Amino acid sequence: MSERLNMRRAMLIARRDYLGYIKTWGFWISFFLPFILGGLMLLATRLDLDFEPARYEAILDDTGLHKAAVTAQYETAYAEREASVFRELGAVMLSDTQANELEVILSTGDTAAATAYLNAKTPGLGDQIKLPERKLIFVEPPSADIEMLKEMLRSGKTVRHEGEDVALNGVLHIKLNNEEGQAQVDYWSPQINAFELPNIAKSYFRDLAETRYLESGALNRQALDASRNGALVYGAFNPEKVSVGDTGQEVTNLDRLPYFVAGVMAMVLWLAVFSGAYMLLTSMLEEKLNKLLEMMLATTHFGEIILGKLIGVAALTITAMLPYILIGIAAVIGAVLFGDPEQSAALKQAFTWKMAVFFPIFLVLGYLFYGALFIAMGALAESMQDAQTITTPIVMILTICVLIVPMGIKNPDSTLLILASWFPLSAPFAAIARLPSDPPFWELALSAGFLALLSVGVVMLAGRVFRYGVLSGAGVKGALDWVKRKLFRRKVS
Amino acid sequence: MKSPLSISNASKSFAGQLAVNDVSFTVNPGEIIGFLGPNGAGKTTTLRMALGLIKPDSGSISLFGAPPGAHAFGRIGFLPEERGLYKKQTAREAIAHLARLNGMKGKAAFRRADEMLDRYGLSDAKRKKNKDMSKGMAQKVQLLAAIAHDPEFCILDEPFSGLDPVNQQVLESIVRELADGGRTIIFSTHVMEHAERLCDRIILMSGGHKVFDGTTQAALDKAPRRLVIASSHDALVETVTPFAQSVSRGDDGAYHLIMATAAETHTLLEACVNGGIKLSRFEPKPQSLHEAFVAMVGEDVTRTMTLGKGGAS
Repeated sequence: MSERLNMRRAMLIARRDYLGYIKTWGFWISFFLPFILGGLMLLATRLDLDFEPARYEAILDDTGLHKAAVTAQYETAYAEREASVFRELGAVMLSDTQANELEVILSTGDTAAATAYLNAKTPGLGDQIKLPERKLIFVEPPSADIEMLKEMLRSGKTVRHEGEDVALNGVLHIKLNNEEGQAQVDYWSPQINAFELPNIAKSYFRDLAETRYLESGALNRQALDASRNGALVYGAFNPEKVSVGDTGQEVTNLDRLPYFVAGVMAMVLWLAVFSGAYMLLTSMLEEKLNKLLEMMLATTHFGEIILGKLIGVAALTITAMLPYILIGIAAVIGAVLFGDPEQSAALKQAFTWKMAVFFPIFLVLGYLFYGALFIAMGALAESMQDAQTITTPIVMILTICVLIVPMGIKNPDSTLLILASWFPLSAPFAAIARLPSDPPFWELALSAGFLALLSVGVVMLAGRVFRYGVLSGAGVKGALDWVKRKLFRRKVS
Repeated sequence: MKSPLSISNASKSFAGQLAVNDVSFTVNPGEIIGFLGPNGAGKTTTLRMALGLIKPDSGSISLFGAPPGAHAFGRIGFLPEERGLYKKQTAREAIAHLARLNGMKGKAAFRRADEMLDRYGLSDAKRKKNKDMSKGMAQKVQLLAAIAHDPEFCILDEPFSGLDPVNQQVLESIVRELADGGRTIIFSTHVMEHAERLCDRIILMSGGHKVFDGTTQAALDKAPRRLVIASSHDALVETVTPFAQSVSRGDDGAYHLIMATAAETHTLLEACVNGGIKLSRFEPKPQSLHEAFVAMVGEDVTRTMTLGKGGAS
């Protein structure tokens, strides 16, 4: 690669590789598929399409004691589901203080007030919320005779509910099991996998049994719940944190944001490296199997072919990821400029100058390192099966590298992560994952320098392997023989 | 004018197996050279060394006066023995891509691709993807891709292999046009007829050695001269035997002679006339390269060449 490379030829090879993929249907299908699916989901939401129709079920309570309570149990569960939708959105879009304020509103069960609160904080945000649909609607049993109700379920006869005729989907029959007053619940429905109403009933009767047991000892459930909730006041604090606002040195979700940002960036890098390297492998293999490389090598330096491929596939990877990159950048800029000040500060803290400098460096080096490695393996392989066999160890290492990312979020100063940031195969991902813990500059620079040196070495080695693999028609065995001859001076027959 | 290619004492072995052994030859500007030899003769390895695709273990290669390298890019048109194209590229894209790699500008390369495809009966294939073309069409496209940039020196490894007779004819005409344009050509082949028809010079390889290097006529001279002669005269055999290496009688009653090295057919004819032998047949048979090569390397070794098939050598 050190010989004079003709960039025009390298760019022509890059162009061909880029267009070779871009012109395929497969590329555009995978490019647009997430957007098409997202659009369809959005459309379904907007059109209020109902993919799972509500079930109309009746409770036939022979005891006359439990029907209202079971219905109430469902209403409580549904209200909790509604609240969790607000809560999840609040966790992403609101500061900790605002999330606490929202929680107070939600405890009243007033979803309209919660919507108004979100709209006040970010105009239109509350209106975007789509509350979960009721999938279970209670109807009055059209008969007190379970046999007649069973016949209705069998024949699909409809019942009258709020002025409409609806099909009866299930009947929960509550009756006395014995003289001690133990209840028995039978659930009748042609849909054998419908579990919502039976589960509510089970939960209600378990709670009822617990309450009765507590009452037998002159205790009550409310007191038990209060006791459990007040058992511990928990707080997580960071002594290094500069005290800001009401939360002092208490660790909030915003403090954790930089770690999650670093984790996401490391994953982006991993995805780029993984998809790019695999494309390089298949592109090299196609040319080798098609015997095109020999023809190209009569007119092009092998270094130009490697460089061209690296550039072409890099451009292709960027194109494939461009919409996500743009959406990500727009979201971050939007949050920084228009979001809550606390949130904005946390994001600024996540995107430090070290991230701005080292993320592109490790992205390029990681891609070069793995890309050259996969090119060399593609040059050695003689079939797709061969390629899979040769790349398995590297793919396994790459997979292990992903496991480092969560470790970086949990414990960025762990010895393993520090070592991983020095080990070339994991260095790009580990170094990015470590950034939020603010490692010394020299450590990052040295890690990048070491990786750069190795990348140059791997690119040069890839060139040798490429020449040997492609021109001598050598496969894996040939390469091993070559290593034995060159490194160990061993004669190989 | 510098010689396009000069190989001097080149040897190459793979995993201890000698593929090319001390081969030397020089290609002169404007020559059409047939590089012949049976399977495993070392033809492809020699051509790969000539291009610098593999380095010789010993000896030296000079391409346009210097070791193979970037200085020769764009001046050579190379068609490798094993063919292939990008499956999803169209014919014109494939030709233009190679032409551009060889130094042509984008628009000119596409214009040239269109011209060539029109000229060689592949107009319909212009926008056809390579994967949808027949083997013969794809092979022609690849040859056009190799020469689209109008190279000074063409190295064609088994260009005729796999082509039907019609396309072989087209290919011959392409080679002739290149030669008429003053280009230097070396091509390897198994098929003697092509070499006989096209070449100024023949280089014969066998077992990694160069066995023969000379003009096509000099190669033909190595072949035994055959003569079919017939007469009802009793003295015919006695008269012709001194001129022949061997005499055998065919089913038709005619005598089949292989002429002795120094003997001439016209002196044999004179002897017959002087002896009053009235001939009913006198047919000198044309010499063939096949027979020449049998004479040089033996029947067994030559067999694969006449078949016109085979793998890498």
